[in-house]
Amino acid sequence: MKYKKLTKYAFPDKEGRFGEFGGKYVSETLITALEELEKVYTQVKKDKSFQKEVIKDLNDFVGRPSPLYFAERWTKKLGGAKIYLKREDLNHTGAHKINNTVGQVLLAKKMGKKRVIAETGAGQHGVATATVAARHGLECIIFMGEEDIERQALNVYRMKLLGAEVCSVDSGTKTLKDAMNEAMRDWVTNVEDTHYIIGSVAGPHPYPEIVRDFNSIVGKELKIQSKKELGKYPDIIVACVGGGSNAMGIFYPFIKDTKTKLVGVEAGGSGVKSGKHAAPLSDGKVGVLHGMKTYLMQDKNGQILSTYSVSAGLDYPGVGPEHAYLRDIGRVEYESATDKQALKSFHDLTKTEGIMPALETSHALAYVNKIAPKLSRSKIIVINLSGRGDKDMFTVAKEDGMTL
Amino acid sequence: MTRLEKVFNKKETKNKVLVTYTVAGDPNLGSSKKILNDLIASGADILEIGVPFSDPMSEGPVIQKAHERALKKNIEFKDILNLCRQIRIKNSNVPIVLMGYMNSFLSLKNKLAEELTQAGVDGVIVVDLPYDESKSFFNNLKKENIDLIRLISPTTDSKRLKRMLASSSGYLYYVSLKGITGAELKNFNEVKNKVKRIKSLTNLPVVVGFGIKDELTAKKMASFSDGIVVGTKIIDFIEKKSIPKISNFTKSLKKAIN
Repeated sequence: MKYKKLTKYAFPDKEGRFGEFGGKYVSETLITALEELEKVYTQVKKDKSFQKEVIKDLNDFVGRPSPLYFAERWTKKLGGAKIYLKREDLNHTGAHKINNTVGQVLLAKKMGKKRVIAETGAGQHGVATATVAARHGLECIIFMGEEDIERQALNVYRMKLLGAEVCSVDSGTKTLKDAMNEAMRDWVTNVEDTHYIIGSVAGPHPYPEIVRDFNSIVGKELKIQSKKELGKYPDIIVACVGGGSNAMGIFYPFIKDTKTKLVGVEAGGSGVKSGKHAAPLSDGKVGVLHGMKTYLMQDKNGQILSTYSVSAGLDYPGVGPEHAYLRDIGRVEYESATDKQALKSFHDLTKTEGIMPALETSHALAYVNKIAPKLSRSKIIVINLSGRGDKDMFTVAKEDGMTL
Repeated sequence: MTRLEKVFNKKETKNKVLVTYTVAGDPNLGSSKKILNDLIASGADILEIGVPFSDPMSEGPVIQKAHERALKKNIEFKDILNLCRQIRIKNSNVPIVLMGYMNSFLSLKNKLAEELTQAGVDGVIVVDLPYDESKSFFNNLKKENIDLIRLISPTTDSKRLKRMLASSSGYLYYVSLKGITGAELKNFNEVKNKVKRIKSLTNLPVVVGFGIKDELTAKKMASFSDGIVVGTKIIDFIEKKSIPKISNFTKSLKKAIN
């Protein structure tokens, strides 16, 4: 480990950086909007009535706090450490993504914006954005890669039912990164009346901070719950990492508690060595994309490479800058799980616990499946069960050779 | 005097500057070279050469496709530098400015400034490198006398503008609209007022780009600036396989602005 003490961990710094990572690499036109967002966000952080409004929505609209659930049968089956699940799948709309959109839509209103836009991969962030836009009566446009629209048809229809317009993006690789490019293009054009609700701890400053903060309700609750129900903080916390919002949300409150090991699991696709994956922290190089400096999957000329994962939500060539920093200082360990391992864990959890996880989440489960048997029964592992798997029915069926 | 300074110095003879933008390797390297030489012959004063990138976030559909066409031909940074060298063989006066995204320039690491100089490049425009993030990049380029051309947008306020001007050189590129390349330009007066404001604060030349697609808009924009940039419309000819039409179009623009 490169870090000595993390008691003074306070990132991002004034320049919006996490060590060398992060920053604001955007076109000049967007700088004013980012500065405004930063100013308003700094104000509301200290504004008790705003924070109260967020908490009220998290409780009454999202259904928080989410339970900490003991996966007893799965624990027995694996025969090692005790496994607990932080049930973000039970949130309204079925994933952690709504923790962020509930907060950001209030920010949008505070700034007087009438229109919100968002990018989405698996569709969970799109649904979470469309949901809060419907609730607050804002115009909502969701950008989604053509390929993702195909594999997440259910979520596309959900967004439309919620009154959002879903824009199909057919440029580049037709997935999440291209949806983000298109959202940026829309934002730069409509910057005066539009707030861009970025769905991950990615993008230019202050987004990585804002999205982390809104999602860190998960880690805050876990601190209270684990103290109360288990008598201690977890020994290990595991979360999947695409852009990294659910992981940052559960890790952040524990960063200074160095006795708790933190593990992020990236999408290994067909295996990191095969080159067909979406694991920039395992196999990427530092670069600049979507407004941030971070680890990216890229070739020697700096062209962003196509990613591959069975899960649309992890299919992204970059990762939030704070993860890049936490990797480099060694505070968080980053692993990967393959499509095959994730699918196996999807089935395992469904059959042993009656909980159907999202394919994204299944990557975190796959890692636990590997390490839990090797650990003593006194150890406690908590997995951020970031979303439910209903949206993945078609993909899983296809992988299993069935048609629905 | 740098090549860029020389071009704008002709300003005394009231010549407005025509800046053209095309993407290196679109539709292929050979055609690219021919197009660039034709542009010079038809009156282009500065060549902005786009560095194709997988994620051109500030581009409209026409230029996005140009980037995609070039990448399909596996254009690498070294090919672009070679292209610049080849232009230099025939022409030692026309300034060459590479325009692209930060990740492409990062790929050359600490060799960037040296490589650019050797290829005869005069300046660089990095779309996603705002003033705030540019200090070390700017200083590295300065060592080799390469200008970092700043983009100024309708949303840039005066306070920020003054800070930017303190570390600007070459010329300033005023982005005429809030949006992407190839978008519709609506408010001429706003552009005019902004450009006047910039010019009152600096001696650097100011060119206007985005949304200029015909003689009329070109003429209007040139009337209050030092020159204009045209990109999408030229690339439109390439997309429609009408490359021979580029020369006449360029000539007509050059005539219109002077």
